Amino acid sequence: MLQVFHDIEKKIIISLRDNLKQTPESLEKSTHLSPDQIRRGIEWLKLKDLAIVFESKSSMISLGKNGIESFEKGLPERRLLNLLKDGPKKLSDLQKELGFVFGPSIGLARKNNWVESSSDEISIKNPPSDLPGEKTLNLIGNEKLSKDKLDSTDLSGLLRRPDFIVEDVIKTKEISLSNIAKSIKISDSVGDIDVEANVPEVFVARTHPLKDTIDEIREIFVTLGFSEILGNMTQSSFWNFDALFTPQDHPARELQDTFYLDKINAKKIGTPEQISKVSESHKKNWRYRWDINEARKMVLRTHTTCVTIKHLAETKPDEARIFSLGRVFRNEKVSYKHLVEFNQIEGVVVGKDASLKNLMGIQREFYKRIGITKIKFWPTFFPYTEPSLQTMVYNEKLGKWIELFGMGIFRPEVTKPLGITQPVLAWGGGIERIAMLKYDLDDVREFYNNNLGWLRSTKKCQ
Amino acid sequence: MPVVELSYSRLQKLIGKVSKKQISDSLPFLGLDIESEDKDLVRVEYSPNRPDYSTDFGIALGLQGLLGIKIGPIKLNVKKSSKYTILVKSNVSRIRPFVTGIIAKNGKIDDKTIKQLMTMQEDLHFGIGRKRKKSSIGIHDLDKISFPLVYTTTNRNHTFIPLNSEKELSISEILDTTDVGKDYGSLLGQSSQVPIILDEKQNTVSFPPIINAATTTVTTKTKNLFVEVTGLNKEDAEDMLSVVATVLQSAGFTLESVKITGAKNSSPKLDYRKMTVNSSLVNQILGLNLSSSKIVSSLKKSRLDASSKGANIICTIPAYRFDIFGPMDLVEEVALGYGIQNLEPTISPSQTIGKTNSVSLKLKLLDQTMIGVGYLEALNSSLTSKRVLYDMTNRDSTKHLSVLDSKSKEHTILRDSILPGLLENLSRNIHESYPQKMFETGTVFTIKSPISEKINFSGISAHKDANFTEIKSIIQTALNIGFGIKVETKTATNSTFEEGHCASIVLDNVPIGIIGKIDSKIVENYKIRVPVMGFEISLSDSILRT
Repeated sequence: MLQVFHDIEKKIIISLRDNLKQTPESLEKSTHLSPDQIRRGIEWLKLKDLAIVFESKSSMISLGKNGIESFEKGLPERRLLNLLKDGPKKLSDLQKELGFVFGPSIGLARKNNWVESSSDEISIKNPPSDLPGEKTLNLIGNEKLSKDKLDSTDLSGLLRRPDFIVEDVIKTKEISLSNIAKSIKISDSVGDIDVEANVPEVFVARTHPLKDTIDEIREIFVTLGFSEILGNMTQSSFWNFDALFTPQDHPARELQDTFYLDKINAKKIGTPEQISKVSESHKKNWRYRWDINEARKMVLRTHTTCVTIKHLAETKPDEARIFSLGRVFRNEKVSYKHLVEFNQIEGVVVGKDASLKNLMGIQREFYKRIGITKIKFWPTFFPYTEPSLQTMVYNEKLGKWIELFGMGIFRPEVTKPLGITQPVLAWGGGIERIAMLKYDLDDVREFYNNNLGWLRSTKKCQ
Repeated sequence: MPVVELSYSRLQKLIGKVSKKQISDSLPFLGLDIESEDKDLVRVEYSPNRPDYSTDFGIALGLQGLLGIKIGPIKLNVKKSSKYTILVKSNVSRIRPFVTGIIAKNGKIDDKTIKQLMTMQEDLHFGIGRKRKKSSIGIHDLDKISFPLVYTTTNRNHTFIPLNSEKELSISEILDTTDVGKDYGSLLGQSSQVPIILDEKQNTVSFPPIINAATTTVTTKTKNLFVEVTGLNKEDAEDMLSVVATVLQSAGFTLESVKITGAKNSSPKLDYRKMTVNSSLVNQILGLNLSSSKIVSSLKKSRLDASSKGANIICTIPAYRFDIFGPMDLVEEVALGYGIQNLEPTISPSQTIGKTNSVSLKLKLLDQTMIGVGYLEALNSSLTSKRVLYDMTNRDSTKHLSVLDSKSKEHTILRDSILPGLLENLSRNIHESYPQKMFETGTVFTIKSPISEKINFSGISAHKDANFTEIKSIIQTALNIGFGIKVETKTATNSTFEEGHCASIVLDNVPIGIIGKIDSKIVENYKIRVPVMGFEISLSDSILRT
């Protein structure tokens, strides 16, 4: 295995191959790197399981003031023995020669039977060639040595003597190579970096996943020849319901399904002709007293169809493909499958050749473009279209058919009073439902939680 | 949408030679969505415009047609009888002016049939009856009633034993203590008089639209039925009656007429209607090229009668199909009879050129620019709460725009600003890594003859080094690079922002928004531990201004 390493790592590994166990300090010496470079290099290698770091506490031994003097001049007892080498000497002479160490040296030598005294003279008796502590003293010299490299009995004598030994407790790191590191081949190109190392995560700024779906759907219909129109989210009941042939006592218009704005009514809801013709159509077909005040009540639109029908009533085109996309509202309990506010796309085709088969064809083409090919159409009911169909699409993940867009042809009871003469194909449905399939979500509320964990991790391409 | 529970084995008996699979495959093509299935039982959703599908008897008629087992219209055979009469007194005119009825004899009533009739009654009340207001129905054991009946009014002290009760209750007690009384009593208003149907012996038969008398309760021992429908107008009452009559005949009863007189009431006709549809309209709308005879046979499969005369198809529509308003409804009946699965989708080349709305285009440019400066897009509901919109952000709530009777506390007020929602979002992400930078564009609402809708743009930046300079440079850069618009900031105060760290955003000397450091108390209330900078501007007054 050939691996690219940072220069620092490379130097450390090479040094450790020569000298298997080292401290950071010894590595500094052998690699000529700074303490900080060594620290970082060891850290990197440790993360890659290439270096083993063994941390331990140890005592470092060096000589104190008296120890240094003894190292230079010999131990006091050695000095005494040296003076006696050439024969016995008088105590007074020895005192003169030895000064401060006279007392302790004589005491120690007598206790160990190295000397013997007669009247006022002292002579050598039987000294060992190496005195206790002498070897250790010389070993330490001017260095600082680890305690465990020294003979502990030899050292213990010195430790008892004042100012002979200084002991420092220090933490040490011992660095060695792991088995992998021992065999790894090191690329020796200069300046190479570790391109395989892990890097920190970067969070992408992005458009909202639901917005991406909305844009994708908008794009599809634009390329199918549809033009986008916009309209208000707050609408009079007239355009949201009455113009769409939904009778004023219809259950869908009740407070429990639709959001009415508190104490807000529209003054102008349509032209006098539109109002009188729509009310006529209701009276004739639904047999009740149509009330203009009911039509003035402002609601949060329950579908975008109100925007399209208003547009058609104003422009009365002979031929058109238009769509409207935006938020719609339902007074529902919020749950994993229901929101009070969601996005809907809704489109119409106006033209003398517009037919139900065309409408189905547009749907099929749309689904194909969002990757859904298994579809079928079932009859259904909407108050403002006749005939009415719904699309069922097969979801492979769920293994079942799901209801998506609804569609139909606007009823003459809708178009005639508004002066629209050509057949109008209409279709529409919720976008969140498609986005849920796309992002594999079980809970529709996720789209509006703005949970950064989800937004930052959701894939753009689904 | 209402739901009805069906049994495959019962349907098979009603329809004739048919397999379970044929039934389940065909149900959706009648417009019936299968909601759930459990062995022999299947629950289907039906459209409220087809109340005849509220029972398995009605659904069996539809399936017979679709499967070609029995086609053509269901004819009501009502035997003329003079035995059964209802006299209507004029005092009902102001309360519930119309009554109609029919007799159904010699039927077999088992538990399942009773259950089907009960759900039909409930669905009829809720749907076309508009919660019993427009019309309501009472089904009685005929043999417990002595004709002639009188439909009149009585006062609230009148007593009888109502259904599901063991003792006599007064009208007032029924309205005050029973569930149905409490639910529907308001339909009778404050009038001291209430409608009542009495029999020859002055026994109470029914107290419409609230409850029947206990004596006439239908059980499995009942053989003969009396059905009455009362309502606000004659047509609606007869529509409802026609559904019940059709279902009872299909259930094996023989029908006999009830004679009704007095106070503008008359006996029900339950007649066919004739309607003509041109075959070219059918073919144009469906995109087909069907012959007149194919159109006729398709209509027959939809259980209508039809014959062709040149290009015209003359259609005969039974009374219970009052959902058919005009020729376009007949086009749908042709499509259903022909079979929706037989319509091949076609794509016709577009004669129009598609175009994205300019507002959408500009908003997309703004999105792209904001992403370029490292901001993530958030989406919040327009319908939010007082807590988020005003309380947490210390904003003035006096002009708030609320909706009525929201089922969700978190969605009661239309937003007049986007920034509070973004602050709420930050508070829910305090465990996520910083910096957190988000933006949102969306509609804001204010009361103005009647409501003004404008598009706003807000951004927010939260991290330990967030500061005014950063956020100001973001808004200036976004508007300048995105749209070539240069805005300035002028010292301002705002309750959401910290004093001395707040400015209004000015375009051509007109303030279009606000920018600054979010007040530390607000940030603290939201338990956010880093400084937060934010801005909000009106796009309708700047880049979207025309």
